[in-house]
Amino acid sequence: MILDMLEYYNMKKRLNINVIYSGPIWAEGIEGIGAAIRNMTAFDELSLSVSQSIFSVFVEQMNNMLMYSSEKEVFDLGSKRANAPKGVFVLGSQDKTYFLQSGNVINNDDVEKVKVRLDFLNTLDKKQLREHYKTQIKAENPNTESKGAGLGLIEIARRANAPIEYSFVPFGDGLSFFTMFVTIGGNK
Amino acid sequence: MAYKLEVQKTGSTPYVLIDEENGYLKFEGESYHENVVVFFKDVSGWLNSFLSSEFGSFTFECALKYFNSSTTKLLLNMLLDMDDAAANGNKVVVNWMVDEDNDIIIECGEDFKDEMNALEFNMITICANRNIAG
Repeated sequence: MILDMLEYYNMKKRLNINVIYSGPIWAEGIEGIGAAIRNMTAFDELSLSVSQSIFSVFVEQMNNMLMYSSEKEVFDLGSKRANAPKGVFVLGSQDKTYFLQSGNVINNDDVEKVKVRLDFLNTLDKKQLREHYKTQIKAENPNTESKGAGLGLIEIARRANAPIEYSFVPFGDGLSFFTMFVTIGGNK
Repeated sequence: MAYKLEVQKTGSTPYVLIDEENGYLKFEGESYHENVVVFFKDVSGWLNSFLSSEFGSFTFECALKYFNSSTTKLLLNMLLDMDDAAANGNKVVVNWMVDEDNDIIIECGEDFKDEMNALEFNMITICANRNIAG
């Protein structure tokens, strides 16, 4: 099956999508997509504060998918064999407002936990989020390998200029598809 | 023989310099590797043993332009250890180097400074450099 490239191109254009990534998530991939995002924000001549916010939400969304995605892809590079979580990331923009979406398959056992956290974060204002971040950073065990589970979502909420939107759609077999939608304003 | 370590930066890991003879530690660049805990393992290990020795004085220069939330947690833990050493009578100086318009890193520096009781925490703002990728 061959993808209709023209249709794909037009869809990206129609939806104002700048970057799409779909596949296994690992450090080198994050660096590569990150470089593309940096080029885009440089081209758009954004303030450092806005471009850093975009980059930060991107990194934390990728990290979040690394932690929660229950769909893995095994790849073998000879020297390196890895079991990488899979996810989809989309960055779009319109009139210097940026939309960052992440999507991944998640275990139903994690749905409630993520939902409760996002709902709670959406009730906090920027000042409260900063305080909450400080509290959480001290509460987390320094030696844990948990990669800072709670902090990433707070960081995303701090940089977003609207509540974090999300959805969970049944994906069968004890799984759901989790989408997170974050808006960052260009005139912040 | 005093320990010395220099690690060049990559896309998602920072430049690191440990100069034990001069009681000096420096981070520069960016830190957002998926596994920062592993990356900083050697640094944390060295720092712990150094801070518990009779070191006299120590300077930590942090010139990171961007770091993720996992790195934030590691940095705070290192700073708290440095603060404990300062409370025990050692001279500990932290130089938080940040571009004047890098709000996120400035805010983080302010929050870290609030947590410190004994060490000297200097916020050093430098002229704006728009190329944050360094």
